[in-house]
This record gives sequence, C-alpha cells and structure tokens, in this order.
Amino acid sequence: MDFQLSDDHRMLQDSLRGILARHSGEALMPALQEAGVPQALLTEAEGGFDGSGAAVALIFEALGRAGASLPLIGTMIGAAALAQAGQPADDDATIAFADAEPGTRYDRGVAISVDGDRLTGRKTMVAGAEGAAAIVVTTADALWLVAPDATGLTVRPYPLMDDQRGADLIFDATPATRLGALADFDAVLARGVLAHAAYALGTLSAAVDLTLDYLRTRKQFGQPLIAFQALAHRAADLSVEVEQARSAVTNFAGHLDADAPLRDRHLQACKVTLGRVARLVAEESVQLHGGIGMTEEYALGGMIRRLLAADTAMGDADFHLERFARGEPAFA
Amino acid sequence: MDMSFTPEETAFRDDIRAFLKAELDPALARKVRLHHDLTKAEMEGWHAKLQSRGWLAGNWPREFGGAGWTAIQRHIFEEESARAHAPRIVPFGIAMLGPVLQKFGSKEQQDYWLPRILNGDDWWCQGYSEPGAGSDLASLRCEAVRDGDHYVVNGQKTWTTLGQHANMIFCLVRTNATGKKQEGISFLLIDMETPGVTVRPIVLLDGTAEVNEVWFDNVRVPVANLVGEENQGWTYAKYLLTHERTNIAGVGFATAALDNLKRVAKAQRHRGQPLSDDPLFAAEMAGVEIELMAMSTTNLRMLSAAAQGQAPGIESSMLKIKGTQIRQRLDALTRRAYGGQAMALTLEGNEGPEGADEALAASATWLNNRKLSIYGGSNEVQRSIISGALAKG
Repeated sequence: MDFQLSDDHRMLQDSLRGILARHSGEALMPALQEAGVPQALLTEAEGGFDGSGAAVALIFEALGRAGASLPLIGTMIGAAALAQAGQPADDDATIAFADAEPGTRYDRGVAISVDGDRLTGRKTMVAGAEGAAAIVVTTADALWLVAPDATGLTVRPYPLMDDQRGADLIFDATPATRLGALADFDAVLARGVLAHAAYALGTLSAAVDLTLDYLRTRKQFGQPLIAFQALAHRAADLSVEVEQARSAVTNFAGHLDADAPLRDRHLQACKVTLGRVARLVAEESVQLHGGIGMTEEYALGGMIRRLLAADTAMGDADFHLERFARGEPAFA
Repeated sequence: MDMSFTPEETAFRDDIRAFLKAELDPALARKVRLHHDLTKAEMEGWHAKLQSRGWLAGNWPREFGGAGWTAIQRHIFEEESARAHAPRIVPFGIAMLGPVLQKFGSKEQQDYWLPRILNGDDWWCQGYSEPGAGSDLASLRCEAVRDGDHYVVNGQKTWTTLGQHANMIFCLVRTNATGKKQEGISFLLIDMETPGVTVRPIVLLDGTAEVNEVWFDNVRVPVANLVGEENQGWTYAKYLLTHERTNIAGVGFATAALDNLKRVAKAQRHRGQPLSDDPLFAAEMAGVEIELMAMSTTNLRMLSAAAQGQAPGIESSMLKIKGTQIRQRLDALTRRAYGGQAMALTLEGNEGPEGADEALAASATWLNNRKLSIYGGSNEVQRSIISGALAKG
C-alpha cells in the first residue's frame, strides 16, 4: 500500500498547477488541451495516455481548487464511451453527456423513450450542450450518440449552478446511434463519478481554506473570530471532514480499475462522503463567514454553488447511500 | 498510489491470522466479544504469547526489543486481532511508557525498564488525571518535593485504568508551583508497593470497576526514577499523546464492531424480515460503514506520512474525534438493533433466552464506551488543539 503519487503524476500535477496559475476563463480550455490534459483522462486504448484513477482524481481536484468550470467531465465520459464503441471522437472535440431527466431524481428512461433508432422525450441539466461536437445520451438501459444538428433536437440553454452553461434537450423522433448497453459502460461512468467527487474535494478544500483565513483575520468584540470556541470547534470539525473526503476520493481512485463489485462499493462510499461533506462545508462556511458569505462579490458564493452541483451530478449522497445499503451495483 | 497490499503485507497478514487461529483460545475470544472483564492472568497470558513471537511491541524499534513494524503492518495486526476478538494489548507499558523512555529516558532506565515491560515483570498504570485536573491536565497538584536522593510525593490521581493489577505507575507530578503551570511538572516512575500508596476502585455506570483512585501519602521515590529533566514532564506527556498513539483511531475495534452489528442486524427480525433489510436501519448502517471506510484510509495516510518523517501535528486529534464518533455510532446502532431485549443489566447467573448475553454485551459496550470521547483528552479538548493549530495558519 502506497499513498504517494508516481513521478509521472507529480509532473502532471505540477504542470497543471502552472497552467491554472497562468490561465483562466476562456483561455483555460485551450491551454489544457495544448498541454494534453484531456488525453490524460483517457486510457491508451481510448486514444489517451493515462486514464487511471490517480490521474483523474488529481486533475479534477486541481480544477476544483482553482474554481475552473469547464465541460471536461462530459467530454471525458463521451470520448471514452465513443472510443469503447469503436467511434472515437476528435482529440479536442467537446462532448456533452446528457443523463438527468425531469420529473425524477435519478431514474433513467422516465422522460425519454426509444423507438428503433430514434429518441423522443427530454433530458435536462446537460452541461456544455451548446457548442458540443457530439452528445452522448443515456436511456433506461442504453447509451446513444446524437449529433448536435440532428433533426428533431431542440436545445434550450441556461446557466448552471457551477457557472457552466447547461441546457434542456428536447428530442422528437431524433435519430441516434446506439453505442451499447448502459451496463457495458459502467467503467466509463465510474470515471465520471470520480471526476465529480474529486472536483468537489478541490472545491471544498478551497472553501475551508478561505473560511479559515477569514476566521483568522476578521475581528469582532476585539478578537479574531477563531478565538471564539463556538466557531473554532466547528472549524475543527470541518478540517476533520476534509480529511475524510480526501480519503474517500483516495479509496475510489485506488479502486477505479478493481472488479466491479469492489469498485462500486468505493464509488458509492466516495460519492456519499463527498456529497455529505460538500453539503456540510457549503452550509458551515457561509455560516462561519456571516453576511459577507452571502454576497456574490465574495469568492465563497461560487464555491458553494459548485459544491451543490457536484453533489447533485451523477447521483447524490442519498442516491448512492441507498444503493450501497442494498448492495446494488452503481449503474444498472 | 497503490491501494492493494504488497505480497509481503499479505504474507504478514496471513502470519497474523495463522497465529490467532492457533493461539487464541475460543473461550477467551468469547469473553472479549461479550465484553466480560478479563482476569490479570488472561491478559498477561496473551501478552506472553505475543512476546514469544516478538509481536508484543509492534510500535517499538527493534533495538529496544520491539517488532519495528511499519504503519501498514500495525494496521493489519490491530485489525486482525480485533476481528478475532483477541484481548487488546494493555497500552500503559507498551504504547505509552515505552516510547517515552525510548525518547527521553536514560540508558540505565531503558536497559532496566524496557525488558521488564516486554517480559511482563511489571504491570504499569497511568497517573495523569486528578480530581481537580481533568481536561485541564496541566493544573495538576499532586506534588513531589526533593528530599536528598528521594522525592516525597503527596496527592491523588484518578481514573487509573487497571491500577488494581499494577505494581508500577508513571505519574505527572508538580515539582514547581510557581510560574507557568506547564513548566513545573515532572515525569516520575513510582513503585506501587511503596508505603503510602493506596488504591481504591471506582465503580462505573456499567457496573465494572476497571478504573481506580490512587492516593500518595508521603511516598518516597528514588530520584533515579525521574524521567528526563525535572520540570520538563509536560513535554514528555505531550509526546506520549501525539507521537505514539498509533491505534488512537481504533480502526480494528470499529471494524470488529461493524462485523458484529451486521451479524446482529441480519439475525434480528423486524416486520417479519431481517432488520438489515429495513431501509431506515440499513441506511444508518451504510452511513457509518462508509465513514469507517474513509477513516481507515485517513488513519493509514496519516501514519504513513508520520513514518516518512512528517512531524505529527493535529492528526492524532483528528483521528481521536472521528474514530470515537464512529465507534459510538456503531455501539448505539448495535444496542438499538436489540430493541426491547436490551433492558437487562445483568442476568445474575440465570440462563437467559438465546442471545441474551449478547444483548447484555451491547448495552454494556454502549455504557462503557461513553469513555471514548472523554478519555485521552476529551473530544472538545481535541477540537481546541486542532483549532489552535488552525488559528496559526
């Protein structure tokens, strides 16, 4: 057992930190692409050069810590799924992953139906749908490829909690290519869950650091806030939970390539832990800040929204807790 | 990063398992599992079996007769031992005093006392808390006054676990009452047979008497029994608390408690089904199991970092809080799993229905393990230690 990053992964981490220090906003994605970061999320068989749990975790943790909002998770899932189905995408293509449906928490195939090779119905909260080169869509038991300019597809865009652009996709007998049974893509989907969890880890670490910084500097009643035990003990509890969250991501990253039952237990435990801690940090960090934590101008607000989004994506803490308790697989 | 055991670690685990299978008497394991008090002979016998393999002091370096295990090996040993319901290693000599003597004791003290700990010649207990010095340990008043080649000790210690079996006690005593209270404390080794030492048991809310009060009335202690320097005892006490409490998270105990909870929940009937199938109860069990999965890795990450020379700081405080929270949640769920069966205090030797002794154990464990979040520095003290470090940034 060894918790150290390999030399390759340390170099990847260093180069990523450099990019994130130099680039933000619209310039960030091209800089990441130029450095080959999207290919680090894919295995060699998928046209990348890594795709390990450790690489996925460290990349998305760094992106979360930097507050970068990019359609990279959908692109990773889409690129891996298309490669597995023998229809690899172009290297720098942005791909949207359409999973959530209206009218249900996490059921699939409730709002969308299949007739032959045509889809009818609705997907919601699809990050990066505008401008995507391809859209990968889940139905009750299968994965599909839809072209963004396919007939019968309407895109209704809006902003998401995590500063990405999202959209509802309305399908009306829209032609689609079946990539395979959903269960056959469980390893690809697992990688997506790890990405959301690691992104949440980076985000919540940054939120707790910001909160501690505020507690050390903000004075009331002539004392820094952290001198007040009621606040100090809550800050201590947060720091313990950050370690728990890090361990949960470590466990899952280390078992991403394990046999499905073991991998899925760690996946579920990880998403439950990150969802729980993300919610806790979101609530506590605003409260420990007080009024300033409520303002849009202060950096905390965006972190809070990204934490809520990361909990919600691909099954929240409640969803995965139930499946863990029942001993069910993560995707089926 | 690699989350799997190396072949060497797997072989080590197999060794431990084989040893436990061969050497652990099932009747003794049953007593441990049902939370019955062990006799002194039972505890000493288990120590002797471990020592015959060189495994009693896994945390000690080889030069002092220990096993010199890695953090991962200690984790494996603790988990396997707890899951097999082996008696726990009495910590006062092995886990507490030994490392302090190795770090701060004189060569003579190391040569004399360390082998006696391993051989079972001495049974140590801990003289830290006093009636007026609990969480505020540094305010302790038990005094030691120099008189020629001796200290004369007067005062009282309390919560002295298993002191009824001990022939030796390591004590924090006040050697200077002026100035900062932390700077007038010394670390003294006291023979319990010395005239003036009195031990009285304290009966706890679970009916057991594992802790004691210890009085010192003009007890003469040779100056040679001072560890390190006079008035530096607080430094040694803190070292003991932060550096060497490798099992503070109690991962092995929690894992054994989870095994037991799952077994009980599967056997208990609820609405005609196993309780483990009840969605409400199953969700609570899953929640604590998931916490334990993360804590187990938190523990290993922190032990590994410490083994690579990173100075331990607030990690043991973090592990104490999370580890005790998890164990108390497991204890609470296990007691609740018995429902109406968890009413009896004892059976007074009468034979109860099937499983009655296990329901008793669940209640007794719940009661006894309230101590987890109080002893070794209450969880609130640990939060103050953590936030004190966080305040410095």
